[in-house]
Amino acid sequence: MIRILLQRLLELIPTALVIVAASFALVRLAPGSPFSSEKEIPPEVRQKLEAKYGFDKPLPEQFIRYLGNLLRGDLGLSTKYPQRTVNEIIANGFPVTLSLAAIALLWSLLVGITAGIIGAIRQNTVWDHVAMTAALVGISVPSFVLGPLLVLTVSLRLHLLPPAGWGDWQHVVLPGLTLGTIYAASIARLTRGGMLEVVRSDFIRTARAKGLSESLIVWRHMLRGGLLPVVSYLGPAVASMLTGSVVVEKIFNVPGIGPYFVDAAFNRDYFLVMGIVLLYAFFLLLMNLIVDVVYGFLDPRVDVS
Amino acid sequence: MFGLCFALPCITASLLLGGCQQQQSPYFGTIEPRHGPEELWINNSSEPEWLDPGRCSDSTGGEIIWNTFEGLVQAHPATLQPLPAIATHWDISDDGRTYTFHLRPSFWSDGHALTADDFVFALRRLVDPQTGSKYASNGFIFQEGLAISRGDAAVETLGVRAIDTHTLEITLVDPLPYFLNFLSFYSFMPLPEHLFQDLQNRGIDPDLWTRPEYVVCNGAFRMTDWRFRQHMTFEKNEYYWDAVSVKLDRIRVAMVESATTAMNMYVAGEFDWPGGSTSLPAEFMDHLEKYQDFHSHPYLGVYFYWINTEKPPLDNPLVRRALSLAIDRDSLVQHVTRGGQRGSADLVPDGLAGYEGLHIPVYNPVKARQLLAKAGYATGQELPLVTLSFNTSEGHKQVAEAIQAMWQQELGITVELANQEWKVFLANAEQTNFQICRMGWIGDYADPYTFLELLTSDCGNNHSNWSSTTYDTLLEQANQQHDAEERLRMLREAEAFALHEQPLIPLYVYTRTQLIKPYVRGIWGNHQDRHPWKYMWIDESFDPHDLMVGAGKNVDEDEQVPQ
Repeated sequence: MIRILLQRLLELIPTALVIVAASFALVRLAPGSPFSSEKEIPPEVRQKLEAKYGFDKPLPEQFIRYLGNLLRGDLGLSTKYPQRTVNEIIANGFPVTLSLAAIALLWSLLVGITAGIIGAIRQNTVWDHVAMTAALVGISVPSFVLGPLLVLTVSLRLHLLPPAGWGDWQHVVLPGLTLGTIYAASIARLTRGGMLEVVRSDFIRTARAKGLSESLIVWRHMLRGGLLPVVSYLGPAVASMLTGSVVVEKIFNVPGIGPYFVDAAFNRDYFLVMGIVLLYAFFLLLMNLIVDVVYGFLDPRVDVS
Repeated sequence: MFGLCFALPCITASLLLGGCQQQQSPYFGTIEPRHGPEELWINNSSEPEWLDPGRCSDSTGGEIIWNTFEGLVQAHPATLQPLPAIATHWDISDDGRTYTFHLRPSFWSDGHALTADDFVFALRRLVDPQTGSKYASNGFIFQEGLAISRGDAAVETLGVRAIDTHTLEITLVDPLPYFLNFLSFYSFMPLPEHLFQDLQNRGIDPDLWTRPEYVVCNGAFRMTDWRFRQHMTFEKNEYYWDAVSVKLDRIRVAMVESATTAMNMYVAGEFDWPGGSTSLPAEFMDHLEKYQDFHSHPYLGVYFYWINTEKPPLDNPLVRRALSLAIDRDSLVQHVTRGGQRGSADLVPDGLAGYEGLHIPVYNPVKARQLLAKAGYATGQELPLVTLSFNTSEGHKQVAEAIQAMWQQELGITVELANQEWKVFLANAEQTNFQICRMGWIGDYADPYTFLELLTSDCGNNHSNWSSTTYDTLLEQANQQHDAEERLRMLREAEAFALHEQPLIPLYVYTRTQLIKPYVRGIWGNHQDRHPWKYMWIDESFDPHDLMVGAGKNVDEDEQVPQ
């Protein structure tokens, strides 16, 4: 297993190189400069700033220098926040985004799997219809509608939680719910679908014939098989929670790295854009790898190697 | 993503306004302070680029610097006239070029004595090309400032010198009448030279000197905590020379970029004041105007369109004037911008001490058609296609669409709109790669020259390709003029000359709209939107349960203005 994992990790290197080269080329080909502003900057000052960041060197030289720094773990200096390194900005923001995604993931799994199980074991009853209608609504309502709705009701009307900010547990609840709901809805439908697929399988019939209790059948046999589609979905979903939290972080003023994904590109903050792209790419690749491994554990028919 | 970004404030706005319409309170949101009377919670809209006075070039950084540093003079919170600060008084030479400032004994926040050398160090550093200050040009008013910035002279030659510990002499290039007013700008604050040396001795990058663990300042407040993109905490600086006048002990400054989110936080009481840099969205205005905690005041900024005067058909001043006269600016500000702006065809807004605005007629479609015909275009259809560029923003787009419709309706001109991403837009503006493009200009100091300089031939911010020796000479002569009234007359003549040529089309003068909790006092509306925290305080006598209309005190009108 370890050999296979190492092999898969090594395979990530050429992919990462392609991502670095492509994103470097794209961000540098975009018109405009990090130092352009409405008010003219004296040309001597501009030269000085370009020299400070190495932008005065030919592009190939800049790329090689960037790769060299990258190997040493140095992601460069931000041009928008000149007193901060990209490493520092990511180290500040990523744990925030990560904790937001963790809350969203917990919420989505808890609600999604519960609703999915109810839908499957009470198929075609009122319970099933209610759970699946709620899931349909959850999938259809985007976060930029759900977020303000939660702020209006929970914060401004009921005064239960703060409308925005970050610092203690109260600040995590609304953004976590907003981010996680759409995934909870998808997980509910996938769980229900997965369980209904295995409910008529031979091994379930065998389990019933052995006289196992219904709850044991549901928890030990049906759920394990029924969760396979959810596991496949979770890899991209977690990556998507990390990368797709831009809107939620804006609504709730969460100091994560989501907004940089857009703002750094607008600001031509070259090193910050590269840093965020690389981080997201790394997580996407890692999540896919984890899903492949977990799949092997859940379904004995899948050979990870 | 763009769709989401635009939809977000609209949806939130409609939900929020819908929710608030049922309330009977004359105030927008809660009016019970969520903290003690010694504290204030405000917003500063975004993470500042620099908190270093010599390097700062954005308003969010400026807001912090103005309240943590103090220069030779400070701006009066209501009138913006220069008041003594670190300098108790000053002498001006007969030719108006040399100022001798007499400094009061004062201290840095670490207890070190502040001397005239700290000013010399700061101002030399501002123009030194090694600093890389985007606002180095502010130091070009000092003798040799420009030459030093270009690397043609040593920093020691700058026209700023310490005569003794408490006497500073500044020599200007020209006898600038607005110098004292400009001197309160954040670029001219002193710097703690001893701290730079100390950091260097300890092997710490001196560029990091504004971090809370190192920073030393001389203003009313000092930073004690800085959570990146979350909030900063400031506490009263006991070493401040006027600490006795500072009423608050602590100020929490959040960095909330979304105006809608900032308003939600204001409603919930998380902010007492969403800050001067938070622009309230236009779609809220009609609703917010009804509340007593809503305030608006004129702002020293002009929204205008640059015209590339080298590209036909706009190389003809008659066409340019026709375009300006065909714009119904009153309709624009009433129906499109809706923020209380004032339609104006002048470049210099009213409100600058002693300067009488030109008050050029703003809307005359008949004369516009006559001018177009005189230029050789009997109908607008004969005019080649004109492109109007603006940077991506719902507000700029709405203004451009309104102007496009006005020109089509009044002159029959077909205008194409070009929506460009910000950095692309800036690159095109810098290279004058446009026919017409939108721009805004905020005055750095309360003098007409801050706007009129825009059209001088060697001004890097002049994107019109228009230059005139007559205009340049008029301004030069005006700045040499000792008689203030005569100088203003000459500046007025220059403005009239330039606007007759119409290298730009002014559209409106900005306003600032604010939400301020009724228990917050000591904030005055002024046209540079500068609000020193040192005057602010919490009115404990305000009764939040008395919701009768008029019970709340208008912070702008009732407060006694400091002398």
